[in-house]
Amino acid sequence: MADKKKMSVEDILAACRTDKPGGENVAPSSDAESSGEAAPAEQAPPEPETPPSEDSPPAKKPGEMSVAEMLAAARGKGSKPAGEAKPKAEKPAAPAKKPGEMSVADMLAAARAGKGGGAAEKSTAPKPAAKSAPAAKANPATAEKGAKPVPAGPLDTQSILSSARKKDKAGPITKAEAAAKGESPPEKREKKKVTMPERPAYVAATAKPKAAAKKEETRRGFFAWAFGSSLAVGFSMLTLTGLISSLGMARFMFPNVRTEPPMKFKAGTPADLSPGQVETKYKSQFAVWVVRAEYEGQPQIYALSTVCTHLGCTPNWLEAEQKFKCPCHGSGFYKDGVNFEGPAPRPLERYAIRIADDGQLEIDKSRVYQQELGQWADPGSFIGPA
Amino acid sequence: MHLSHEEFLQSVSGFLGMFYLALGLMNGVAAYYLWQLAEAQHHHAPTAEHPQDSHLGNKSFGCLFLAVVFSIMSPLAFSGSATMMAPISLPQFMVDGVNYLFAGSLGPVLYSTLSVGLLAVLFLGRRFFVRPVVAWIVWNCMLVLLAVCMTNPNFASIVMKPDNVPIVAMVYLLAFFTWLATAQAVKNDDRAKDGLPPLEKLDDEKILVWPDLVYTELICMVAITAVLILWAVVLKAPLEEPADAAKTPNPSKAPWYFLGLQEMLVYYDPWFAGVVAPLVIVGGLMAIPYLDFNKLGNGYYTIDQRKFAYVTFQFGFLVLWVTFIILGTFLRGPNWNFFGPFEQWDVHKVVPLNNVDLSEFFWVQWLGMPKPKAPPDVGAGAALGFAIWRELPGILLLLGYFTLLPPILATTVFRKFFQKMGLIRFMILASLLLLMALFPIKMVLRWSFNLKYIIALPEYLANF
Repeated sequence: MADKKKMSVEDILAACRTDKPGGENVAPSSDAESSGEAAPAEQAPPEPETPPSEDSPPAKKPGEMSVAEMLAAARGKGSKPAGEAKPKAEKPAAPAKKPGEMSVADMLAAARAGKGGGAAEKSTAPKPAAKSAPAAKANPATAEKGAKPVPAGPLDTQSILSSARKKDKAGPITKAEAAAKGESPPEKREKKKVTMPERPAYVAATAKPKAAAKKEETRRGFFAWAFGSSLAVGFSMLTLTGLISSLGMARFMFPNVRTEPPMKFKAGTPADLSPGQVETKYKSQFAVWVVRAEYEGQPQIYALSTVCTHLGCTPNWLEAEQKFKCPCHGSGFYKDGVNFEGPAPRPLERYAIRIADDGQLEIDKSRVYQQELGQWADPGSFIGPA
Repeated sequence: MHLSHEEFLQSVSGFLGMFYLALGLMNGVAAYYLWQLAEAQHHHAPTAEHPQDSHLGNKSFGCLFLAVVFSIMSPLAFSGSATMMAPISLPQFMVDGVNYLFAGSLGPVLYSTLSVGLLAVLFLGRRFFVRPVVAWIVWNCMLVLLAVCMTNPNFASIVMKPDNVPIVAMVYLLAFFTWLATAQAVKNDDRAKDGLPPLEKLDDEKILVWPDLVYTELICMVAITAVLILWAVVLKAPLEEPADAAKTPNPSKAPWYFLGLQEMLVYYDPWFAGVVAPLVIVGGLMAIPYLDFNKLGNGYYTIDQRKFAYVTFQFGFLVLWVTFIILGTFLRGPNWNFFGPFEQWDVHKVVPLNNVDLSEFFWVQWLGMPKPKAPPDVGAGAALGFAIWRELPGILLLLGYFTLLPPILATTVFRKFFQKMGLIRFMILASLLLLMALFPIKMVLRWSFNLKYIIALPEYLANF
């Protein structure tokens, strides 16, 4: 496609000169697109059809036009063709393969010629001759194919133009126009010529070749076996990455240094607490209130969690009102931790408390006692009267 | 920092002066506009589309009068002295009266009752309140009320918090847009009575996305960016101390749009108010198109043609959402206590409350016996049985509410609904409605009987 667009007027002219029947020089552009089987199938039919004698002007063949014809037509129309060629270019661009239609390059060339016609006409005989060689190189397909059916020597611009001028209708012909002239579109003829290749005889699979193939495949497919397809590679990498990252995450959960306070801590001696006192100095570091008060008529020392049982805010101890009050939704707790106002559904939790060997209170936050589960009766949850 | 009354007045005088000036300007512009309209009427014969309004001159004069009044109030406010500002200050007896009313534990009750009553009056009298003259007077009164209340230091300290300023603005915006929609709906309903098509149908010309819509959006984008920049410059973002797990700010408030939910959390278990209720709200809103069988009111404002839908939605939105956002923003202070609008936010305010579960009421107070309690050495199954036996009154009550009421409703009030919707759709509608109704019911129960939970199973983290 690329070289199609790059073709200059000179190239096209040169191509025309080496390639007489117009339909033929359109083909190379299509060859570039169609690959493999399609190309020979389409190329094959025109070859036997090329017979039109050398001396007959190329334009004689209806429905097929050479670039030269188009150029000539464009020139003949003066300033018009640029406008005329463009709209037509849109349609035949895609099915450019058919010999009766024009490739984009042709259209462009025609348009260009229409604009810069003067320059092309001025070109003299020796000049195009010299140019034809590079053109042939640039378009090897054109040169090769052109060489076969066209034994005639290069034509000069004048002869191409004159031959083109003989034509009654200038410019490319649509299918409808061709039909009006009583000519069937060329591709129909082509289709008739298409012959189906012989269906190869069915070969029954034998054990021997199969084994051989297997052997061959196992050897070739080592990498396939090792890594599978690219999909398998991707997924194995994903799994690996996921595994590594989850391991890293697990490691992250066990930091070398823990800045959080220990779960067990000492909180002074029982004698430090006066009766009815709520010790709030452990709140900021350990989230614990140490309380010496009565619960169900029993004087006790216990450690209350500072987490509200409603939504986990931190209540405040209000000395004046003798209650814990949560700032989030207004839950209130008595000094013994039992909820009495607001939405908190259950009392504050107690932590395990005991008197350590050195006589100090030792609070263990890893053990929790909940009143609604009847755990406050557990002797580990408080220190009774000595 | 505690300011004396003089110092406080000095601090708000600049804002108030500008505010009154803006009010004067607003009325002046309105007066000019109306005067221009009146002038134009002199030169044009009245048509069916533009009927002659013989009161335009009076209206223009009224606006001009208001503009003059505000222009006089503005320098008074600018003065910043107590004597000069006395006429535009909140009289002390008002402050005392309001404080007296909202004192005690009945504050939220009074607030909710008043706001529901006000909204009901506005709804029932909508034909009167949507009239432009009335609406303009009400609008001015609302703005003046704000300005007058600003002379109270406690009110001003809450309203002028950088967090709360945009919420105040939104309250006024919401009032305006509600009025706009209601006015349109009332007009359409009147037209429908006369057999005319709704106003929206008269002007349903299609316009182009590009450039009409895109340009509008561009202008809005630029304007909003400008407002945001101005806002960011004028009102400093309130930065607080670094977060501390051991110290919860007091009061601790959710983002403003969740304050309605936070208010619900005062009455409900966190699982219900924090997880189930929001999901049901979202799911219920999504279900509306499938439950709605009323094909009227599509593409235009109307109230009469969709009375049930309108009232239900506005109750859910304006009452259960907006008024509780306002309550949570302005009236909930330290320890989530209720504070009147002119009350000082006292950390040590004591509101005597003792919330009791329904099982306590039932077993202890009515039957005069201790609550059933599982012996300490029984298995898990028996403990569950005891707990359920203990909460049986609440469980039965709630089951009855959700199973007996729908058929009763289907045969009485919602008979037509049931016939049109079929069993499944009606049951969904009834369940959603009953759940929505539970919110105010529970609040009333809390306020009137100090009822904490209808079902209280704290052992299993299940409360209702």
